[in-house]
Amino acid sequence: MAKTLEPKTKEMEFTSIGQRVPKLDAWDKVQGKTMYIHDVKLPRMLHGKILWSKYAHARIVSIDTSKAEQLPGVRAVITGYNTPEIRCGFIKDNPVLKKDKVRQYRDEVAAVAADTPEIAEEAIKLIDVVYEELPGVFDPEEAMQEGAPLIHEDKGSNVLKLPWKMICGDVEEGRKQADYIVEETYKLPFVTHCCLGTSGCIAQFDAKGNLTVYSPTQIRYLAQKDFQEALNALGLKGKKVKVIQTAIGGGFGSKLDTYPFEFITILLAYYTGRPVKLVYSREEEFFASPGRQPVRAKISQGCTKEGKLTFRDVEMILDNGAYTSWGATTPSVMMMPISSLYQVPNIRYVAKCVHTNNIYSTAMRGYGNPQATFAIESQLDTLAEKAGIDPWEFRMINRNKPGEITPQKFEVGSCGMKECLEAVKEKLQWDEKRGKGNGRGVGIASLIHVGGGARIYKSDGCGTILKLDDFGKVSLLTSASDMGQGSETVLAQIVAEELGLHVEDVDVIMKDTNLEIWDAGAHASRSTFVAGNSALYAARKAKEEILEFAATMLKEPKENLYLRDRMLYSRNNPEVSMTIDKLLRAAHFRTNGRQIVVSEFYDPPTQMLDREMKGNFSAAYTYGVHGVEVEVDKETGQIKILKMVIAMDVGRAINPMAVEGQLEGGGAMGLGYSLMEELHLEKGKVLNGNFLDYKIMTFPDMPPIESVIVETYDEKGPFGAKGIGEPPLVGSAPAIANAVWDALGVRIRELPITPEKIVAALEGKKGS
Amino acid sequence: MAVKISFKLNGEDVSINVDDHVTLMDMLREEFDLFGAKEGCGYGECGSCTVLVDDKAVNSCLMLAVAVNGRSVLTIEGLAGPRGELDPLQKSFVEKGAVQCGFCTPGMIMSAKALLLEKPCPTEEEIRKGMAGNLCRCTGYAKIVEAIKAASERGCSCGKDS
Amino acid sequence: MRRFTYYEPESLKEAIALLEKNGETARLLAGGTDLIVEIKQEKKSPDHLVSLRRIPGLQEMDFSDGELCIGAMVTHRMIEKAELIRDKYSLLADAVDNLGSVQVRNVATIGGNICNAAPSADTAAPLVALGARLVVEGPAGERQIPIDEFFKGPGKTDLGAGEILRCIRIPALPQGAGSCYIKHARRKAMDLPLLGIAVIIVPDANMVCREARIALSLAGPKPFRAEQAEAFVTGKPLSEEVWKQAGEIAVGESNPRSSFRTTAAYRRKMIGTLIPRAAAVSLQRVNRAWMKG
Ligand SMILES: Cc1cc2nc3c(=O)[nH]c(=O)nc-3n(C[C@H](O)[C@H](O)[C@H](O)COP(=O)(O)OP(=O)(O)OC[C@H]3O[C@@H](n4cnc5c(N)ncnc54)[C@H](O)[C@@H]3O)c2cc1C
Ligand code: FES
Ligand code: FES
Repeated sequence: MAKTLEPKTKEMEFTSIGQRVPKLDAWDKVQGKTMYIHDVKLPRMLHGKILWSKYAHARIVSIDTSKAEQLPGVRAVITGYNTPEIRCGFIKDNPVLKKDKVRQYRDEVAAVAADTPEIAEEAIKLIDVVYEELPGVFDPEEAMQEGAPLIHEDKGSNVLKLPWKMICGDVEEGRKQADYIVEETYKLPFVTHCCLGTSGCIAQFDAKGNLTVYSPTQIRYLAQKDFQEALNALGLKGKKVKVIQTAIGGGFGSKLDTYPFEFITILLAYYTGRPVKLVYSREEEFFASPGRQPVRAKISQGCTKEGKLTFRDVEMILDNGAYTSWGATTPSVMMMPISSLYQVPNIRYVAKCVHTNNIYSTAMRGYGNPQATFAIESQLDTLAEKAGIDPWEFRMINRNKPGEITPQKFEVGSCGMKECLEAVKEKLQWDEKRGKGNGRGVGIASLIHVGGGARIYKSDGCGTILKLDDFGKVSLLTSASDMGQGSETVLAQIVAEELGLHVEDVDVIMKDTNLEIWDAGAHASRSTFVAGNSALYAARKAKEEILEFAATMLKEPKENLYLRDRMLYSRNNPEVSMTIDKLLRAAHFRTNGRQIVVSEFYDPPTQMLDREMKGNFSAAYTYGVHGVEVEVDKETGQIKILKMVIAMDVGRAINPMAVEGQLEGGGAMGLGYSLMEELHLEKGKVLNGNFLDYKIMTFPDMPPIESVIVETYDEKGPFGAKGIGEPPLVGSAPAIANAVWDALGVRIRELPITPEKIVAALEGKKGS
Repeated sequence: MAVKISFKLNGEDVSINVDDHVTLMDMLREEFDLFGAKEGCGYGECGSCTVLVDDKAVNSCLMLAVAVNGRSVLTIEGLAGPRGELDPLQKSFVEKGAVQCGFCTPGMIMSAKALLLEKPCPTEEEIRKGMAGNLCRCTGYAKIVEAIKAASERGCSCGKDS
Repeated sequence: MRRFTYYEPESLKEAIALLEKNGETARLLAGGTDLIVEIKQEKKSPDHLVSLRRIPGLQEMDFSDGELCIGAMVTHRMIEKAELIRDKYSLLADAVDNLGSVQVRNVATIGGNICNAAPSADTAAPLVALGARLVVEGPAGERQIPIDEFFKGPGKTDLGAGEILRCIRIPALPQGAGSCYIKHARRKAMDLPLLGIAVIIVPDANMVCREARIALSLAGPKPFRAEQAEAFVTGKPLSEEVWKQAGEIAVGESNPRSSFRTTAAYRRKMIGTLIPRAAAVSLQRVNRAWMKG
């Protein structure tokens, strides 16, 4: 269901925008022709394999690789002792091959390259490592205690020197103004991306020492920069790195950083002089590909008798694991809902990331937002109940509005929170269904997310090159990445629309750092907005050139000319009509003629957060509301999701089918996070690294999801669009927790909401 | 030890020497360059390696290559018609938006193929149950169900509203 | 995967000989959905795999003189589709209905399920409730093992060296029996049970319990009959209350464990909760026509 915008004039009636255009790459995918990293073979390619630590915290006494080296077919065996040191992660605390000590169960201790994966695997087993086990620490709160084992001795403390703090207004004053206050603690588990395609890469050096890395990365250009550092470490300063992106078998944030395995592959390729491929097994993917950061949150919020929120106070402890990747920066995004979800005048947020001997974490769809929103939105229901206000009304009272400036200085443009709340209320039949307490219940939760990029690097830009050929076809070279979400198609739609062409006329090329311009990566739900604007502005430049040439050639005023359906027309002169390909040939094949090639680098008008963590981080903000109806079996604690409604303000749905795909897929991931996903660790070791024990939703588990697309038209977005990749996951868990509360009167403050927890809570309720 | 096996692969008779311990999936990928069957887990838990053996869906990651001796194997590469015309399932997967990252897609389509061979017009419940061995992390399955329904409508003659 | 030699013997004799010859280094291969996984995970490391797939007779199901005989190589999918089993042995149909996926059920066998002796094996509790007898052939000829003597603990069975399960004999159920198996799991599909509950009820015309069988898996180290609970119900009217009490008695007979999958406390509570539910479904399935006639 989409509320569509009225076209203004005839030629404003869209031909591509708003259409359910099938994904351009789907044709290859349904035939099994798409090449993922697993499928790429290069001549003389070797296979790499990593030896993982068998202790969560231990000294490495010795490593004996001699037996492995003697195995026929082994081409290189490397350790931290026979290679130059390379460190990865944004604070460079993660040596890619560990020396002296290991800090997590899955630390990289050695690696081999061999003729076949089997030989590599056998060789790994022949490496003898002597460890001396050290006491470990696996709980962040224990790790903060005086005398806890230090994970990184050189850091002097397990608490990361990355204190997250944001103050807006005066929380103490807010507490005084509040008639009702609720204070609680929430807990969120380790979960992981579960991309169906596991991680992997291929590294290859040319004769001159230049490096090519084939990788399903979400950050071609940042990876290129990181890999450059590896070359420097190898004494290859000045040599070039090229990253070629293979098809991505799922991303969701997992491929937003560079990891030791990639550098190890580069080292193996360097020492063997041959291309080396290293691909994770599923088991490795579970323990070695970092997931979402676990969080403990103490939160209090207060409101007046009338239900106006007066303050929000949040303290968090994040289990940072042994090393630092993007997981440690998720508080920068948690701040967004904490400061700006609903109108709250007084806010305090502090967060600590604490090293433990657990596995470390990275970015994952939502980037901290799901954890923070779970706490905020669950608690809002309790607060509303205390104030005697219907939770939906409560949200309406405090809702965000278009044009507001939030305490964190976000400049909200379009905001469809009201429309989303209203749609969910209607679809859920909120008034009829709520408050029955008979084992059935309804719950809602709202969310805010960045929808117009997010300035976490100095540039949040994205580049586009457009080449128009003699046949009326366009090559669109974009630095964006498509992990399946459909950016390729959306960008083609934008360019086709602007140039009056059909989507089939646009070839999208997104794969090679040497071909395309630069991009900050596929994160922050930014591709449609940032890459979309980049493509749109490039197409405008090309259109200008075409129209200018046509105006001269046809002696028609340029303002009158327009492109549509592969044709050039004039508004005032019905005589003017010419196919675009003919026009392009006319522009090319003449004296001083040329093919039209334009480029554009779009960097959204946003600010980096200042020292106080404030500033207009994103050029647009996406809002949404999740609604669910549940039926809970009071005896077994099993939850049946009867219905899930996801209403999202996407600005404009450039491709409604793709938007629904994000809503349904994000909804499924959100349901998994809410109900069944959890990586179980025992002393740092993952116990359930397989798809039977780490449970994601299956076909029969999925309830019907009703997608409601709200279109508010954001002035800054391409054709009014805002980003939508992450939000559909964000509000699922609190909506379910709230529905469980409505159904049973028990509050589950820890994910996943399992039958065991429900049964225990019901027993607790009976007992009290 | 290598043994010689003969079987029908996508309609063609083939013979090959294969080691005893090699899985069907590895043989298809390494020996025949058929990359459609994907290893999502290697343990029978995700379905991305699904192919049909004697018209039945199996996880090629758990089946030994030697065990297909004398049988017939159909992979995603053999699904399209002789002149490359796509199977109705392939078309409807594209048209209904059932594909995102696409890693699960070949396995999904092969499972759906087996389902429709057995039950040309399944109900939604039958689809969900029949497809339960195929995981997808991207789509939330709704559009895959839609695509299978759409494809089944072409092959279905019972008039039942599926 | 580790290297091994693969054999496809064409008779049981030949297979037994291969097992005898290679001793500990040989393993039987049925559908491979347990064994291949275990080899890949390096939990088992056989040098010789003896496939049963070409041995005639093992894939047959035979129903005669009221006794059902299921060949060891009968797949879960064949059982799932067998009308006769759905009608007469509903609990077995329940057990295979949601076992693994279609892909798994297409190749995985009932023999493999039993011989692997995983505590989570879905057919175990139903077969225990049915009082199945396992027909085993070995170097010393044939013998029959009552199923409750077959399981010796997680992964352990009574099978001796060179012995092969040939078929599973299921004695006739009394007329008018109703049965049900509840697989209690987190997901609706592709999941191993946290608890398996099999119930068979035989009521008389006045709805008094003539015979009751309750078998549980994952409620202790191996599947077992909750005999005290069975004794308690027998002779009593089949009311919800009686079954609730029976459930509680069965809890007392159980000794489940805690793991990351779930807690012992939750398993215990579910034993008490689900036995009455399995009984209720069984009762619905009782052939009422017979009772009247
Ligand atoms: C993804 C997945 C999901 C699963 N889900 C379930 C589930 O929900 N419920 C469940 O119960 N199981 C489940 N399983 C486990 C497995 O599928 C079953 O246990 C299956 O029945 C095993 O049968 P098989 O024919 O594949 O056995 P195999 O793996 O071939 O053999 C298993 C063991 O039994 C021995 N063996 C086999 N046949 C004989 C014989 N005739 N005589 C003597 N020994 C023999 C073998 O030597 C081996 O040790 C699942 C497995 C997978 C991979
Ligand atoms: S790879 Fe075979 S089922 Fe996952
Ligand atoms: S489309 Fe990505 S896993 Fe299904």
